[in-house]
Amino acid sequence: MNPEPFLQLDRVIHEKGRLAIMSMLAASPELSFTEMRDALNMTDGNLTTHIRTLQEVGYLSVTKSFHNNRPLTTCALTAPGKKAFANYINLLEQILRQNKPQ
Amino acid sequence: METNWAAEHLQVIRTLMERSALYRRALAPIMIFNGGVGLVAAVLGWAVGIKSPRAFILYWATVGVIAVARSFLLVRRQALKESEPFWSPPTRRVTQALLPPLVAGFMIGAADFAREGPVLAVSFFGHGPTVIPTVMPWLPLSWVVLYGCAFHAAGFFMPRGMKVFGWAFILGGCALLVAGAADARHPAGCAHAIMGFFFGGLHLAYGVYLYYTEPRGNAP
Repeated sequence: MNPEPFLQLDRVIHEKGRLAIMSMLAASPELSFTEMRDALNMTDGNLTTHIRTLQEVGYLSVTKSFHNNRPLTTCALTAPGKKAFANYINLLEQILRQNKPQ
Repeated sequence: METNWAAEHLQVIRTLMERSALYRRALAPIMIFNGGVGLVAAVLGWAVGIKSPRAFILYWATVGVIAVARSFLLVRRQALKESEPFWSPPTRRVTQALLPPLVAGFMIGAADFAREGPVLAVSFFGHGPTVIPTVMPWLPLSWVVLYGCAFHAAGFFMPRGMKVFGWAFILGGCALLVAGAADARHPAGCAHAIMGFFFGGLHLAYGVYLYYTEPRGNAP
């Protein structure tokens, strides 16, 4: 068995919480902080930490604005984030294919 | 072992991507309100004796505008409470799915309204020398079926029950058409009864069901 695809998996995305965030954002142009928190059942602190990590590596952009006088935080995948996520999925599929019984 | 792990990861990703695209506003208050309005309007329409096609279309169009306006306000209130944008991507997708059949229903009503009667939506029954045009049940039945198509289409971006709700309208409307409801002996009364049962009763029943089953996190 070739361990190469497994070793190539992006460690930043591979973490459970961050993978969930990336998956949700991959299907939607942008999502608000509260939408993600409720859908993923995460605490504010936990979600903030993961978002910051993804933002630091440039996978995610965060926009802070005001909507009807209330703060609104929205997140979206950046172009490198989309590429990294697509690459992660490809590697998972590669792992599946190479372990498929002949 | 590694294959299972990768397959599970892919499954989790797929589920999350689907969930991300779903419309998640609480629907119970909207359904219950619209159901109540539908039932009251049907009883009122029948009691007042709204029979002519124009009056029927105008009356139910007004009821529809009230229901849509109130639904809009309820959704907006939920969005405000959650500090989320009203016109979110899931809201856009649901609206886009709802629109084509609803526009078709509107156009059928508008065409009938413009025609004032004699061709499609009316029959005539005589009372001495006067002839009164009356609305025929096929008009509300076509609205029911198109409304069902709209909700079935929106159901692809909403919780699973919405597609079943759409099917209830489609199959119920078609069944009544096949059963000959369009040729009912008291067409105007039958037309109001159809509106009351589908737009009142079914909404109310589904709203009560949702009230007890849907997550309360984002209720208004």
